[in-house]
Amino acid sequence: MTTSMQKPEPLEPDARKPSGQPEKVVPVQSPRALTRARRRQAVARFWRQYRTHRAGLVGLAVLAVIALLALTAPLLVGADSQSVTSAPGGPMEAPSGEFPLGTDQFGRSLLALMLWGTRVSLTVGLLAAFLSVAIGTLIGITAGHFKGWYATVVMRITDWFLVMPTLVLAIALATVLSRSVWTTILAIGVTTWPTTARLVRAQTLSVESRPYIERSRALGGGHRHIMSRHVLPNVMPLVLAQTTLVISTAILTEATLAFLGLSDPTIVSWGGLLQDAREAGAVSSGNWWYLAPPGLAIAVVALAFTLCGRAIESVLNPKLGVSR
Amino acid sequence: MVTRVPHHSTRPRRRLRLLLASGVAALALTAGSVVPGNLLAPAPSEARADDGKTTLTVAVAQSVDSLSPFLAQRLLSTSVLRLMYDFLTNYDPKDNKAIPGLATAWEPSADKLTWTYTIRSDSKWSDGQQATAEDAAWTFNKMMTDEAAATSNGSFVGNFEKVTAPSKDKLVITLKEPQATMAALDVPIVPKHLWEKVGDFSKFNNDKEFPIVGNGPFIVTDYKVDSYVKLKANKDFWRGSPKFDELVFRYYKDQDAAVAALRKGEVSFVAGSPSLTPAQSASLENAPDIKVNDAPGRRFFALAVNPGARTKDGQKFGDGHPALLDQKVRHALFMAVDRKTIIDKVFQGHAVEGEGYIPPRFGDYFWKPSADQKLAYDPARAGSLLDEAGYKKNGAGKRVGKDGKPLDFRILCHATDPNDKAIGKYLQEWWGEQGIGLKVDCLDNVSDPWYAGEYDLAFDGWSVNPDPDFVLSIHTCDALPAKAKETASTDNFICDKQYDELYKKQLAEYDPAKRADLVKQLESRLYDTGYMNVMAYPNAVEAYRTDHIESITTMPSAAGNIYGQDGYWSWWSAVPAAGASSSGSSDSGGSSTGVLIGVGIAVVVLAGGGLLFAMRRRSTAEDRE
Repeated sequence: MTTSMQKPEPLEPDARKPSGQPEKVVPVQSPRALTRARRRQAVARFWRQYRTHRAGLVGLAVLAVIALLALTAPLLVGADSQSVTSAPGGPMEAPSGEFPLGTDQFGRSLLALMLWGTRVSLTVGLLAAFLSVAIGTLIGITAGHFKGWYATVVMRITDWFLVMPTLVLAIALATVLSRSVWTTILAIGVTTWPTTARLVRAQTLSVESRPYIERSRALGGGHRHIMSRHVLPNVMPLVLAQTTLVISTAILTEATLAFLGLSDPTIVSWGGLLQDAREAGAVSSGNWWYLAPPGLAIAVVALAFTLCGRAIESVLNPKLGVSR
Repeated sequence: MVTRVPHHSTRPRRRLRLLLASGVAALALTAGSVVPGNLLAPAPSEARADDGKTTLTVAVAQSVDSLSPFLAQRLLSTSVLRLMYDFLTNYDPKDNKAIPGLATAWEPSADKLTWTYTIRSDSKWSDGQQATAEDAAWTFNKMMTDEAAATSNGSFVGNFEKVTAPSKDKLVITLKEPQATMAALDVPIVPKHLWEKVGDFSKFNNDKEFPIVGNGPFIVTDYKVDSYVKLKANKDFWRGSPKFDELVFRYYKDQDAAVAALRKGEVSFVAGSPSLTPAQSASLENAPDIKVNDAPGRRFFALAVNPGARTKDGQKFGDGHPALLDQKVRHALFMAVDRKTIIDKVFQGHAVEGEGYIPPRFGDYFWKPSADQKLAYDPARAGSLLDEAGYKKNGAGKRVGKDGKPLDFRILCHATDPNDKAIGKYLQEWWGEQGIGLKVDCLDNVSDPWYAGEYDLAFDGWSVNPDPDFVLSIHTCDALPAKAKETASTDNFICDKQYDELYKKQLAEYDPAKRADLVKQLESRLYDTGYMNVMAYPNAVEAYRTDHIESITTMPSAAGNIYGQDGYWSWWSAVPAAGASSSGSSDSGGSSTGVLIGVGIAVVVLAGGGLLFAMRRRSTAEDRE
C-alpha cells in the first residue's frame, strides 16, 4: 500500500513555483493572485489532457445534454404533465405523433414523465454519490492518518460494509425509514462508501510517507492541519474521479430501489416508471414503449458518468493511461 | 389411494426458454422479484397429461398460510379447505341461498335458540369411515373450548351455548341469543377420529401426512410451502365426482409471470385475486384460446376515516386528525372525490361505482342512497361544507383551521396495490384543489399503524360473503380492541350506538325479508356517518384457457367470478376440453413479439451493465497495489 500513484501535479504549495516565471523576478502579484493563476493553469492542463480522451468527451457531451434537459423540463413539457386529473391521452397508448413515447396507464405522456424523471434520477444520483464519497473520504483520511487501533476498528467496519451486499442493506434501510427521496439518498450514501474509504486510505498512507509531511509536523503542524492542508488536496483528484464513478452506481441503485417499490411512489423517477410499468402489466401485454425508454435512459446516464469518470481517472493517474 | 402423475420431461426446452425469458426480463428490471414462483417444480402443467389424466392448473398470487381449518385465513387456504372438507351448508351458485351440504336439513326451535341439523348418511371420509354428526359436534366443541382452534372461525361459535350429537344424523346447537346466520356457518367439519390426536392446535398445520383425509370434492395429495397445492378428485363425493382428475394451485409471485404462463399453456387459469390489470386483460382478450372473465366482484373498495381510535372502555389512542371528527369535513372530502373518473381511469371500466356498503351482486342486501342522501361528486358543495366547518381558504389557497394550522391529512396505502397508489395520486389533486394537503403513506405492512390508530384516512376493502353478517360486525362497538393498539376484529374503530342497535336487531331476525330491510337501514346509517365511503366495487378479472377448460361454473352463475367463490362450484364443475391435447404451447405470435422486444432491451441493458462492470473492474484492478 505504500507505493504511490504518480502525481503529475503535486499540489502542495511549497513544491513548485508557478512555471514560466523567472526565479528572480520580484512578485508583482499577491500570493492569492498567484494561486489563482496556478489553478487556472492546472485546469487548462487538465482540460488539454481530458480532450484527448474521446470516450470521455462523448460521455461529457451526453451528460451536458441530459443536464440541460433536466433543468429545462418545466419549460419543455410544463409542470402539469405529471397531473393525473388533466392527463391528455388514453391509457397505455402506443407511440404516436402526439405522444412520441406513448402514454402511461393514466394517459400521461411518457416522454414528459421521462424528462421529469431525469431530474429525480440525477439529483438522487449526485447527492447520494456526494454523501457516499464524503463519508468514504472522511473515514479514509482519518484511518490513514491516525493508524493504530482507530484505523483497525474503522477499517474492519469498512470491510464489513464491503462484504455486505449493498442492495440488501439499502433495501433494509429503505424499508425501515419512511419513503422519501431523502431516504433513498441516505440508503445509497451509507451503503456505498467503503470502496472510496479504502482508496482514500491507501492514498493517504502514501502521501503521509512523504518527507514534507514530516517537515510540516516538525514545524508544529497538528493533525487537523496535516489532514486538511496537505493530505486532502492530494487525495482530491482521486476523490473527484471516484465521485464520477460512484454516481453511476448510485443512479443504478436508485432505479433498483424505485423499481422494487422502496422509494416515494408519488415521485416520478426512471426506476419508478419501470415499477409502474410492471404493476400495470406492461411486460406481459407487450407494451415495450413503457419499459424500454426508462431502462435505456438509466443505462445511458450510468454509462456517460462512467466514461467521464474513467477519463478523469486516467488524466489524473498516468499509470492508467496506458491501458486505454 | 394416491396416484402420482409422472412429472413432465417432454418439453424441457420450452421451460428453459420461459425461464430464460423471465430471468432476463427480471434482470433487466434489476430485480429478482419478478422471477415466477417455481418454474422447475415437478408439477404437471397441461390439461391432459400423457397417461390420460386431466389436470387443471391454477396460477394464484398468494401462498397457503396453513392447511389447518382452525388456523387458515387467506383466501387461497380457505378455498382449498372448501374443496377438502364439506361444510354443513353450501350456497346455491344461482342465487346465493343456503342449500344442503353435509347437512340435508336444518330448522330452529320456536324460541329461536335451538337449531337442529340433519346430517347426511352418504358422506364418507376418504379413509373409508362415515362422516357423522359426531364429527361436526366435535369440531364446534373444539373451537369453543380451545382458544387456538378458534383462530380462524372463532366468530361463528361466539354465541354458541352447547353443541351435541344425540345420534349419528342429528346435530343440535343451542345458542345464547338468536342468530340469523345459522344456515351460513362457513366452518369446515373435520374427521374427529384423526383430529382428536392433535396436541397443540396453534402449531398443527395439517401438512405432514398425505393424502389428507377429507370428505370434500377434492383430496389434497401434496403441498409444498410457497410452491403448490396438489389435489385429486374424490370419486366418491356425494354430489358426484369432479370432472378433472387433478387440480393444482401453483403460486406465482408476479401476476405478469402468471399471465405469461397462461399464454404458453403452462397453467389453465389465472386467478383474479388481485385482478388482472386493464392492460393484461386487454391483451389477453385478443389472444387465441383464452377467455377473460370480467365478473362483478364481491369486494368493495372504500375510503376509511379514522374516527378517533379507542378501546372498548373508551380509552383513546392513536393520532387521527381531529378535523375528521367533524362529519361535515368527512362528507366534504368524499364529495370532492370523482368516483366516475376512478372507475374510468384507474379501473378502466373493470369496476362499478360505489354506493352502499354491500356490492350490488348481493341483490337482497344491496342498498343505494336516495338522491338527497347521496354524497355525489360536487367540488363546489364540498368547498362550502368546509367553509361551514370553519376551514376557510387563506391567501395561499390552503384551508386553515381556527388555530391557523393548515389542513393536511395522511392516507394509508398498501404499497403492493397499484390501485391504492393510483387513486392516491388523484386524491392529492382533487383535495389539493380544495386547499387540503394529502400525504400518501404507502407501506408494505399497513397493519401496524392501522391497529395503532396512527392514520387519518386509509384505503380499505373487504370481500363480502353471501351472508353479510361478518362485514357488518366489524363496525360494531363490540369489535373494538380491549387494550390500546391490540389486534381486534374492528375495521377502523367505528362505534355508533344507532348502528349497534340495528346490528343486534338484524342478527336476531329470522325472517329473510325483514332482516334484509334492517341490513339496508344499517348501510344507510353507515353511509351517513361518512366513516366508510365506498368508492367502487372492483370486478374480479380472471382468465383461463378454453382449450383446457371447456366449461366452468361462475358464481352467481349468470355473471360471476370463478376463483374465490363461496363454494366449490367452479373447480367441482369444470369440464376438461375435449381437444385438450398436451399442445398448449402453440405460440401466440402477437404476445411473443412484445416479450421478444422486452428481452432484446434486456440484453442491451445487461450488455451495457456488463460493460460498465468490466470497465470498473479493470480500473480498480489497476488501483490495487
